[in-house]
Amino acid sequence: MTKTVKLLIAAVALILAAAVIWAVIASKDSDSTQVVIVQNNKVIYELDLSTEDDRTFRIESPDGGWNEVSIKDGKISITDADCHDHTCVKTGVLRSESIPIVCLPHKLVIRYADKEQ
Amino acid sequence: MKANRLAKLSLLTALALIIFVIELRIDIIPIPGAKLGLANIITVYAVYKYSAKETFLIVIARVLLGALFSGNVSALMYSITGAFFCLAGMLLVKRIVPMKYIWLSSIIGALLHNTGQIIVAVSVMRSFAVLSVYPFLIITGCIAGAFTGLCAQFLISRKLPEKGDKS
Repeated sequence: MTKTVKLLIAAVALILAAAVIWAVIASKDSDSTQVVIVQNNKVIYELDLSTEDDRTFRIESPDGGWNEVSIKDGKISITDADCHDHTCVKTGVLRSESIPIVCLPHKLVIRYADKEQ
Repeated sequence: MKANRLAKLSLLTALALIIFVIELRIDIIPIPGAKLGLANIITVYAVYKYSAKETFLIVIARVLLGALFSGNVSALMYSITGAFFCLAGMLLVKRIVPMKYIWLSSIIGALLHNTGQIIVAVSVMRSFAVLSVYPFLIITGCIAGAFTGLCAQFLISRKLPEKGDKS
């Protein structure tokens, strides 16, 4: 094992360790209830989950696609979409401030609102 | 390019595409953007066994055809950038990492692949919100990269029929 290989393994291990720590910190549940839905970098909905009724609505994308957003028991999630990968559906309920629900094909993001706003 | 060489490259591309199409059906990882990247077994193998130009040809053909096969052309920008980052990184790492540690260059390739995709995602969405999946992508990238790297290592340790063999 040469020195460069050892160095590279150490670097990869370091990156991995940093990522694990970052992931643990990032996946902490949020206690905020202010949620924004952003499409094409524009905020299209601002919701307070603590006062919202249970409901399901569709968000149409300018390019023809749609996402079905559902609010239930003060939790928000995307329950259906016409995109191919359904990543946003699999993300499930919005929990953490740093893990938004993202639909890349429709450029849609559901996340907690910034604290200072 | 000699016909023999061309046939081998096409065979590798076809293999990579088959793996890619099968992998589309394996859908177990719940993290957005995370994939096993099994088709990269072929890339890792080619990086060490073929020239940079030939590997580039395999990868570009696999990514373009893969996008068409999966009907997922909108994601082409992500996969192309990821593939180029991964390839460039592995071609560099290949110079300092011997074939014995092929899993290491595979991990580095996987990490660069994810980094490239995140850069595209950030620039397309013009928001750093997607950056939050990056640590998860690093973790899955390390695992998937090690796995594909080890697969390639087993592949290389088996004597494949060389030029002129009649088998």
